Amino acid sequence: MKTWLKILITLCLAGIVSAFLFNHYVINKPHPDYEKEPAKFSLKASELYKQYTTDRKTSEKKYNGQLIEIDGKYTRVEKSDTSSIVVFAFNQGMFGDEGIRCTLLPKYKTAIAAYPKGSEVKIKGFCSGYNDTDIILTKCSIQK
Amino acid sequence: MILAFASALPLALNAQKFITKNGQISFVSVAPLETIEAHNDQVNASLDMASGDFNVKVLMQSFEFKKSLMQEHFNDNYVESDKYPNSSFVGKITNIRDLDTTKDGTVTVQVKGNLTIHGVTKSIDAVGSFQVTEGTLVGTSKFTITLSDYNIAIPMVSSGNISKTIDITVKFTLTKLS
Repeated sequence: MKTWLKILITLCLAGIVSAFLFNHYVINKPHPDYEKEPAKFSLKASELYKQYTTDRKTSEKKYNGQLIEIDGKYTRVEKSDTSSIVVFAFNQGMFGDEGIRCTLLPKYKTAIAAYPKGSEVKIKGFCSGYNDTDIILTKCSIQK
Repeated sequence: MILAFASALPLALNAQKFITKNGQISFVSVAPLETIEAHNDQVNASLDMASGDFNVKVLMQSFEFKKSLMQEHFNDNYVESDKYPNSSFVGKITNIRDLDTTKDGTVTVQVKGNLTIHGVTKSIDAVGSFQVTEGTLVGTSKFTITLSDYNIAIPMVSSGNISKTIDITVKFTLTKLS
Protein backbone atom coordinates (compact mmCIF):
# COMPACT_ATOMS: atom_id res chain seq x y z
CA MET A 1 0.00 0.00 0.00
CA LYS A 2 1.26 3.43 -0.87
CA THR A 3 2.45 5.65 1.97
CA TRP A 4 0.02 8.49 1.23
CA LEU A 5 -2.89 6.05 1.32
CA LYS A 6 -1.77 4.68 4.69
CA ILE A 7 -1.58 8.26 6.07
CA LEU A 8 -5.04 9.08 4.68
CA ILE A 9 -6.62 5.96 6.19
CA THR A 10 -4.88 6.61 9.54
CA LEU A 11 -6.15 10.22 9.56
CA CYS A 12 -9.70 9.10 8.70
CA LEU A 13 -9.69 6.50 11.47
CA ALA A 14 -8.27 9.01 13.96
CA GLY A 15 -11.02 11.48 12.93
CA ILE A 16 -13.77 8.88 13.39
CA VAL A 17 -12.41 7.82 16.81
CA SER A 18 -12.04 11.47 17.92
CA ALA A 19 -15.60 12.29 16.81
CA PHE A 20 -16.90 9.26 18.71
CA LEU A 21 -14.96 10.16 21.87
CA PHE A 22 -16.03 13.85 21.65
CA ASN A 23 -19.65 12.83 21.22
CA HIS A 24 -19.50 10.29 24.06
CA TYR A 25 -17.49 12.25 26.65
CA VAL A 26 -18.40 15.87 25.82
CA ILE A 27 -21.70 16.20 23.92
CA ASN A 28 -23.45 13.27 25.61
CA LYS A 29 -21.47 13.11 28.82
CA PRO A 30 -23.58 11.66 31.60
CA HIS A 31 -24.95 13.64 34.52
CA PRO A 32 -22.82 13.39 37.66
CA ASP A 33 -23.56 10.38 39.85
CA TYR A 34 -25.18 12.39 42.65
CA GLU A 35 -25.46 9.30 44.83
CA LYS A 36 -21.83 8.18 44.65
CA GLU A 37 -19.86 11.40 44.24
CA PRO A 38 -18.42 12.77 47.49
CA ALA A 39 -20.10 15.81 48.99
CA LYS A 40 -18.14 19.04 48.83
CA PHE A 41 -19.57 20.26 52.14
CA SER A 42 -20.99 18.40 55.14
CA LEU A 43 -22.81 20.23 57.93
CA LYS A 44 -25.86 20.28 60.22
CA ALA A 45 -29.14 21.07 58.43
CA SER A 46 -29.81 23.83 60.98
CA GLU A 47 -26.38 25.36 60.30
CA LEU A 48 -27.00 25.43 56.53
CA TYR A 49 -30.37 27.15 57.05
CA LYS A 50 -28.79 29.67 59.45
CA GLN A 51 -26.05 30.51 56.98
CA TYR A 52 -28.45 31.08 54.06
CA THR A 53 -30.86 33.19 56.13
CA THR A 54 -28.17 35.34 57.76
CA ASP A 55 -25.77 35.81 54.82
CA ARG A 56 -27.56 34.84 51.64
CA LYS A 57 -25.02 36.20 49.13
CA THR A 58 -22.04 34.40 50.67
CA SER A 59 -24.02 31.16 51.05
CA GLU A 60 -25.28 31.28 47.44
CA LYS A 61 -21.71 31.69 46.23
CA LYS A 62 -20.47 28.87 48.45
CA TYR A 63 -23.23 26.23 48.17
CA ASN A 64 -25.34 26.85 45.02
CA GLY A 65 -24.59 24.21 42.41
CA GLN A 66 -22.64 22.05 44.87
CA LEU A 67 -23.21 18.55 46.19
CA ILE A 68 -23.69 18.90 49.94
CA GLU A 69 -24.48 16.61 52.86
CA ILE A 70 -26.69 17.67 55.75
CA ASP A 71 -27.84 15.92 58.88
CA GLY A 72 -30.49 16.62 61.47
CA LYS A 73 -33.96 15.68 62.67
CA TYR A 74 -36.37 15.84 59.75
CA THR A 75 -39.86 17.25 60.19
CA ARG A 76 -41.91 15.29 57.63
CA VAL A 77 -42.01 13.71 54.19
CA GLU A 78 -44.21 15.23 51.47
CA LYS A 79 -45.39 13.45 48.36
CA SER A 80 -45.75 15.45 45.17
CA ASP A 81 -46.96 14.38 41.69
CA THR A 82 -43.42 13.40 40.79
CA SER A 83 -41.37 12.80 43.92
CA SER A 84 -40.93 12.51 47.70
CA ILE A 85 -39.53 15.48 49.60
CA VAL A 86 -37.88 15.33 53.02
CA VAL A 87 -38.57 18.59 54.88
CA PHE A 88 -36.46 20.13 57.64
CA ALA A 89 -38.57 22.99 59.08
CA PHE A 90 -36.88 25.75 61.08
CA ASN A 91 -39.21 28.72 60.80
CA GLN A 92 -42.84 29.78 60.24
CA GLY A 93 -43.44 32.27 57.45
CA MET A 94 -46.27 33.76 55.41
CA PHE A 95 -46.60 30.53 53.45
CA GLY A 96 -46.26 27.89 56.15
CA ASP A 97 -43.05 26.43 57.47
CA GLU A 98 -39.68 27.28 56.01
CA GLY A 99 -36.43 25.35 56.03
CA ILE A 100 -34.72 22.83 53.74
CA ARG A 101 -36.56 20.71 51.17
CA CYS A 102 -34.77 17.62 49.85
CA THR A 103 -36.20 15.91 46.76
CA LEU A 104 -35.21 12.24 46.90
CA LEU A 105 -33.88 10.22 43.99
CA PRO A 106 -36.61 7.69 42.97
CA LYS A 107 -34.77 4.74 44.55
CA TYR A 108 -34.92 6.42 48.01
CA LYS A 109 -38.67 7.13 47.93
CA THR A 110 -39.47 4.11 50.07
CA ALA A 111 -36.16 4.02 52.02
CA ILE A 112 -37.14 7.10 54.02
CA ALA A 113 -39.93 5.04 55.64
CA ALA A 114 -37.23 3.31 57.73
CA TYR A 115 -36.60 6.62 59.50
CA PRO A 116 -39.50 7.57 61.78
CA LYS A 117 -40.73 11.16 61.57
CA GLY A 118 -38.48 13.38 63.68
CA SER A 119 -35.52 11.01 63.65
CA GLU A 120 -31.95 11.91 62.67
CA VAL A 121 -31.19 11.47 59.01
CA LYS A 122 -28.20 12.28 56.83
CA ILE A 123 -29.00 13.39 53.29
CA LYS A 124 -26.75 14.24 50.36
CA GLY A 125 -28.03 16.30 47.45
CA PHE A 126 -27.41 18.97 44.81
CA CYS A 127 -28.04 22.44 46.21
CA SER A 128 -30.14 24.58 43.82
CA GLY A 129 -30.22 27.59 46.15
CA TYR A 130 -32.60 29.56 48.36
CA ASN A 131 -35.99 30.74 47.06
CA ASP A 132 -36.88 33.20 49.88
CA THR A 133 -38.61 30.48 51.89
CA ASP A 134 -36.57 27.28 51.54
CA ILE A 135 -33.18 25.92 50.56
CA ILE A 136 -33.71 23.36 47.81
CA LEU A 137 -31.70 20.14 47.50
CA THR A 138 -32.42 17.86 44.53
CA LYS A 139 -31.23 14.37 43.50
CA CYS A 140 -30.99 13.45 47.16
CA SER A 141 -29.81 10.17 48.62
CA ILE A 142 -30.03 8.96 52.21
CA GLN A 143 -26.57 8.38 53.66
CA LYS A 144 -25.88 5.70 56.25
CA MET B 1 -63.82 39.84 72.12
CA ILE B 2 -61.28 42.08 70.42
CA LEU B 3 -58.56 39.60 71.36
CA ALA B 4 -60.58 36.72 69.94
CA PHE B 5 -61.06 38.65 66.70
CA ALA B 6 -57.37 39.58 66.53
CA SER B 7 -56.26 35.98 67.03
CA ALA B 8 -58.71 34.71 64.38
CA LEU B 9 -57.63 37.31 61.81
CA PRO B 10 -54.42 35.60 60.61
CA LEU B 11 -56.36 32.36 60.14
CA ALA B 12 -58.98 34.20 58.11
CA LEU B 13 -56.27 35.77 55.95
CA ASN B 14 -54.51 32.41 55.47
CA ALA B 15 -57.83 30.81 54.49
CA GLN B 16 -57.72 33.03 51.40
CA LYS B 17 -54.28 31.82 50.34
CA PHE B 18 -53.49 28.77 48.23
CA ILE B 19 -49.90 27.62 47.81
CA THR B 20 -47.57 24.98 46.45
CA LYS B 21 -43.87 24.40 46.91
CA ASN B 22 -43.83 21.63 44.30
CA GLY B 23 -45.03 23.55 41.27
CA GLN B 24 -43.92 22.32 37.86
CA ILE B 25 -42.43 24.39 35.04
CA SER B 26 -41.22 22.93 31.76
CA PHE B 27 -39.81 24.68 28.75
CA VAL B 28 -39.01 23.57 25.25
CA SER B 29 -36.85 25.06 22.52
CA VAL B 30 -37.57 23.73 19.04
CA ALA B 31 -34.75 24.58 16.61
CA PRO B 32 -33.88 23.10 13.19
CA LEU B 33 -31.10 20.89 14.57
CA GLU B 34 -32.31 20.11 18.06
CA THR B 35 -35.25 20.09 20.46
CA ILE B 36 -34.25 20.92 24.02
CA GLU B 37 -36.50 20.37 27.03
CA ALA B 38 -36.05 21.07 30.72
CA HIS B 39 -38.19 20.47 33.80
CA ASN B 40 -38.34 21.92 37.29
CA ASP B 41 -40.73 20.55 39.92
CA GLN B 42 -39.62 22.57 42.96
CA VAL B 43 -41.37 25.83 42.15
CA ASN B 44 -43.06 28.02 44.78
CA ALA B 45 -46.40 29.54 43.84
CA SER B 46 -49.04 31.38 45.85
CA LEU B 47 -52.50 32.69 45.05
CA ASP B 48 -54.38 35.15 47.23
CA MET B 49 -58.09 34.63 46.59
CA ALA B 50 -59.02 38.04 48.01
CA SER B 51 -56.70 40.19 45.92
CA GLY B 52 -55.93 37.86 43.00
CA ASP B 53 -52.20 38.27 43.69
CA PHE B 54 -50.35 35.41 42.05
CA ASN B 55 -46.62 35.00 42.71
CA VAL B 56 -44.11 32.41 41.53
CA LYS B 57 -40.48 31.83 42.59
CA VAL B 58 -38.14 29.62 40.58
CA LEU B 59 -34.58 28.48 41.24
CA MET B 60 -32.84 28.26 37.87
CA GLN B 61 -30.40 25.55 39.06
CA SER B 62 -33.42 23.26 39.66
CA PHE B 63 -34.10 22.87 35.93
CA GLU B 64 -33.15 19.38 34.79
CA PHE B 65 -32.11 18.61 31.23
CA LYS B 66 -31.70 15.28 29.48
CA LYS B 67 -28.10 16.09 28.60
CA SER B 68 -25.63 17.19 31.24
CA LEU B 69 -23.83 19.52 28.81
CA MET B 70 -27.09 21.35 28.00
CA GLN B 71 -27.70 21.88 31.71
CA GLU B 72 -24.18 23.27 32.14
CA HIS B 73 -24.56 25.66 29.19
CA PHE B 74 -27.99 26.77 30.41
CA ASN B 75 -26.65 27.67 33.87
CA ASP B 76 -23.19 28.96 32.91
CA ASN B 77 -23.67 30.67 29.54
CA TYR B 78 -27.33 31.60 29.10
CA VAL B 79 -29.19 32.35 32.34
CA GLU B 80 -25.96 32.80 34.38
CA SER B 81 -27.53 31.21 37.43
CA ASP B 82 -24.56 32.09 39.63
CA LYS B 83 -25.36 35.80 39.11
CA TYR B 84 -29.14 35.42 38.82
CA PRO B 85 -30.11 32.31 40.83
CA ASN B 86 -33.83 33.16 41.02
CA SER B 87 -36.53 33.97 38.51
CA SER B 88 -39.94 35.21 39.53
CA PHE B 89 -43.40 36.16 38.40
CA VAL B 90 -45.28 38.80 40.37
CA GLY B 91 -48.75 39.48 39.10
CA LYS B 92 -52.47 39.07 39.38
CA ILE B 93 -55.31 36.96 38.13
CA THR B 94 -57.45 39.75 36.82
CA ASN B 95 -60.71 37.78 36.83
CA ILE B 96 -60.21 36.19 40.27
CA ARG B 97 -63.92 36.70 41.03
CA ASP B 98 -64.74 34.01 38.45
CA LEU B 99 -62.82 31.42 40.49
CA ASP B 100 -65.00 29.78 43.14
CA THR B 101 -62.89 27.37 45.22
CA THR B 102 -65.99 25.77 46.74
CA LYS B 103 -67.39 24.64 43.39
CA ASP B 104 -65.74 21.85 41.36
CA GLY B 105 -65.12 22.73 37.72
CA THR B 106 -62.71 24.45 35.34
CA VAL B 107 -62.32 28.22 35.06
CA THR B 108 -60.33 30.12 32.45
CA VAL B 109 -58.23 32.88 33.99
CA GLN B 110 -56.36 35.92 32.70
CA VAL B 111 -52.91 36.40 34.24
CA LYS B 112 -51.02 39.68 34.06
CA GLY B 113 -47.77 40.65 35.73
CA ASN B 114 -44.00 41.01 35.66
CA LEU B 115 -41.72 38.13 34.76
CA THR B 116 -38.09 38.45 35.89
CA ILE B 117 -35.47 36.20 34.28
CA HIS B 118 -31.71 36.81 34.06
CA GLY B 119 -32.15 40.01 36.05
CA VAL B 120 -34.51 41.52 33.44
CA THR B 121 -38.17 42.25 34.22
CA LYS B 122 -40.81 42.28 31.48
CA SER B 123 -44.56 42.63 31.61
CA ILE B 124 -46.43 39.58 30.34
CA ASP B 125 -50.03 38.47 29.82
CA ALA B 126 -51.11 34.86 29.68
CA VAL B 127 -54.26 32.81 29.65
CA GLY B 128 -54.55 29.84 31.95
CA SER B 129 -57.07 27.64 33.63
CA PHE B 130 -57.81 26.39 37.11
CA GLN B 131 -59.44 23.06 37.68
CA VAL B 132 -61.12 23.00 41.09
CA THR B 133 -61.50 19.57 42.69
CA GLU B 134 -62.63 19.35 46.32
CA GLY B 135 -60.92 22.62 47.24
CA THR B 136 -57.64 21.86 45.43
CA LEU B 137 -56.77 24.15 42.52
CA VAL B 138 -54.75 22.78 39.61
CA GLY B 139 -53.58 25.75 37.56
CA THR B 140 -52.09 25.30 34.09
CA SER B 141 -50.89 27.71 31.45
CA LYS B 142 -48.75 27.83 28.32
CA PHE B 143 -47.00 30.90 27.02
CA THR B 144 -44.00 31.91 24.94
CA ILE B 145 -41.09 34.21 25.75
CA THR B 146 -38.40 35.68 23.52
CA LEU B 147 -34.88 35.11 24.86
CA SER B 148 -33.52 38.46 23.62
CA ASP B 149 -36.18 40.25 25.77
CA TYR B 150 -34.30 38.93 28.80
CA ASN B 151 -30.80 39.73 27.47
CA ILE B 152 -30.11 36.05 26.81
CA ALA B 153 -27.90 35.93 23.73
CA ILE B 154 -27.55 32.85 21.55
CA PRO B 155 -24.17 32.64 19.78
CA MET B 156 -24.29 32.28 15.97
CA VAL B 157 -22.69 28.84 16.23
CA SER B 158 -25.65 27.60 18.35
CA SER B 159 -28.42 29.31 16.38
CA GLY B 160 -29.40 26.02 14.72
CA ASN B 161 -29.65 24.32 18.10
CA ILE B 162 -31.49 26.87 20.22
CA SER B 163 -34.71 28.65 19.28
CA LYS B 164 -35.08 32.43 19.75
CA THR B 165 -38.40 31.81 21.45
CA ILE B 166 -39.10 29.37 24.26
CA ASP B 167 -42.44 27.71 24.99
CA ILE B 168 -43.16 27.49 28.71
CA THR B 169 -45.72 25.20 30.36
CA VAL B 170 -46.66 25.55 34.02
CA LYS B 171 -48.69 23.36 36.35
CA PHE B 172 -49.37 24.30 39.95
CA THR B 173 -51.39 22.13 42.32
CA LEU B 174 -52.42 24.69 44.94
CA THR B 175 -53.81 23.74 48.33
CA LYS B 176 -55.31 25.98 50.97
CA LEU B 177 -52.74 27.29 53.44
CA SER B 178 -53.72 26.01 56.86
